[in-house]
Amino acid sequence: MPRKQTPLRPYFEKMAGIGKELSEGEIRRSKNNVDLIREQEEILAREIDRVNNAGVPAEKIHARGGMTVYDRLEYLVDAGTWNPLHTLYNPRDNEEGCTGVVDGLGKIEGRWAVIIGFDNKVMAGAWIAGQAENILMVTDLAKRLNVPLVWLTNCSGVKLMEQESVYAGRRSSGAPFFRHAELNRLGIPILNAIYGTNPAGGGYQGISPTILLAHEGANIAVGGAGIVGGMSPRGHVDEEGARALIDAARDFKAKPPGRVETHFDKTAYFREVHETEQGVLDGIKDYMRMMPAYDPAMFRVAEPAEPKFPAEDLNLILPANQKRPYDAIQLLARLTDNSEFMEYRPDYGPEVFTGIAKIDGFPLAFIGNRQGVFPDYPEYAEGTYPGVGGKHYRQGLIKQGEFVTLCGRDNLPIVWLQDTTGIDVGDLAEEAELLALGQALAYSIEQTDLSMMCIVLRKGTAAAHYIMGGPQANNNNAFTLGTPLSEINVMHGETAAAASYARRLVKEAEAGRDITPVVDKMNRMIQDYQDKSHPAYCAMNGFVDEIASLTDLRNYIQAFAGANYQNPRSITPVHQMLLPRIIKG
Amino acid sequence: MSEEVTAPMSGSIWKIHVKVGDKVNYEDELVILEALKMENPIYAPADGTVSEIKVSENDQVEANQVLIVLD
Repeated sequence: MPRKQTPLRPYFEKMAGIGKELSEGEIRRSKNNVDLIREQEEILAREIDRVNNAGVPAEKIHARGGMTVYDRLEYLVDAGTWNPLHTLYNPRDNEEGCTGVVDGLGKIEGRWAVIIGFDNKVMAGAWIAGQAENILMVTDLAKRLNVPLVWLTNCSGVKLMEQESVYAGRRSSGAPFFRHAELNRLGIPILNAIYGTNPAGGGYQGISPTILLAHEGANIAVGGAGIVGGMSPRGHVDEEGARALIDAARDFKAKPPGRVETHFDKTAYFREVHETEQGVLDGIKDYMRMMPAYDPAMFRVAEPAEPKFPAEDLNLILPANQKRPYDAIQLLARLTDNSEFMEYRPDYGPEVFTGIAKIDGFPLAFIGNRQGVFPDYPEYAEGTYPGVGGKHYRQGLIKQGEFVTLCGRDNLPIVWLQDTTGIDVGDLAEEAELLALGQALAYSIEQTDLSMMCIVLRKGTAAAHYIMGGPQANNNNAFTLGTPLSEINVMHGETAAAASYARRLVKEAEAGRDITPVVDKMNRMIQDYQDKSHPAYCAMNGFVDEIASLTDLRNYIQAFAGANYQNPRSITPVHQMLLPRIIKG
Repeated sequence: MSEEVTAPMSGSIWKIHVKVGDKVNYEDELVILEALKMENPIYAPADGTVSEIKVSENDQVEANQVLIVLD
């Protein structure tokens, strides 16, 4: 009878338990908190609904016998595995109210993929402002996670009335073709389900992936057949010219080039052609089954387990009131398998926790801010002021830098749980080298080749938002989530108003003038900060990749873990890991 | 037997949620102490009745100073 086990069982099978059940008093006191979170979730739900209903109504597509991008995703993605990203992203605030692409992380036939499709309700999937940046974030994600990219192409090309906002520039709509080439070069396959008419930009969108599967009505081409008039030599259109155009357009019967008759029958670019829209998606599923993916048992260090405590507790634990402290370990206990955590240096740098936890049986590193007050800390303050949770001090920065470096050595993807007001400031902080230690953490992150995901639980402020695996860590950050309580800004509005207007107030007061106009300006500035820091604003402007409900956070972490361990580029044999040994001592 | 509710740190009393004679339950929020830009809630250590309030809103208090007495 063979005997089998997971690796380093004494370390990983049963780690230290964390968290405890909420007391009756905590539940009673926090009911209002749940209401405040629900309020924010309803605001976000309305915004998501607006994006989902952008463009022509779904019924119109259905009446033509077609599927919307949402129908296609529902058919394609394994039930319960869809983790949407960039839903509200619209950085140019365009009139469509979205970027015209829908994307996320999901499983197809049991394998993780980054999936993106053109929203065929929105100008037949045209290139619109903000879309290129969205696509670049998606191709970067596939590269970071080393998982297939699946496209649902249905792209009418440039929105011609606004070509200047999409066509030219370093990160414009042409850049994704180079990203596709880069993914192919790196050995990351791109599967493409092609629908509808895809001329010019749409044509390159069609041709640039690895495997092309087409619907029988699809076409891809260098240019469309719709340019009937050619260039006007007069440089303007007069009535005579317009009437000639009417006649030409009326008689225009040509079929678009690049149809199946060409690119299946003659060039054989399309591997498959399907009579139905679902058939193309079935073809994508067939190819997904061919994608490289290890059995999870290869990397699991224990059997998957749910946290001991319910996810709904998170809405009671994380205070909507940004000034209220909470127990971050209670929060962590609602995210990790069996509510266990192997903490690294718990007695050093108490303002942050660092350690290893399991997610679906995979080992992941977690780093987060603790909240509350730390008497007799930081040591360099020598009692002149106490440490406050959310801030970073010398020991905490050193600990994070060490831990990240060791995670790099052990190939442990990192989940950052940010709720930070910044790094300590002042002469003592400078003498304690916090400026250099902050940058040293950025260097440590960059020195690893680790995937990281960042969750901004509440505050993402000052440089601490950057150095805690924020989206600015371009080469490591796979994606960043906000929550209904996120607030991302360089500093709190009141602090910014004081910094901006303190001298002016002094001048006005010393001159004996009325200070009310300055006070009004300060309050307008505070309001402006609030308007430009809230969750929906953060999502629209790409400060985060998605706002997730607190109860959905574990789903995203599971997707992150599963995708990272599906086909890793680098492997540390579990029995050769150092971190668990260092933690044990 | 009376129970004294004390300040865990120095700071300013921002809000007092109770008045003398109020019945309170274990872990009810009695006072908010503002310190270090944070709101630090202070909870009832046991069920009881508020017999004495020794501070007022906006008072500065020291760590371990008695704020409220419960019977």
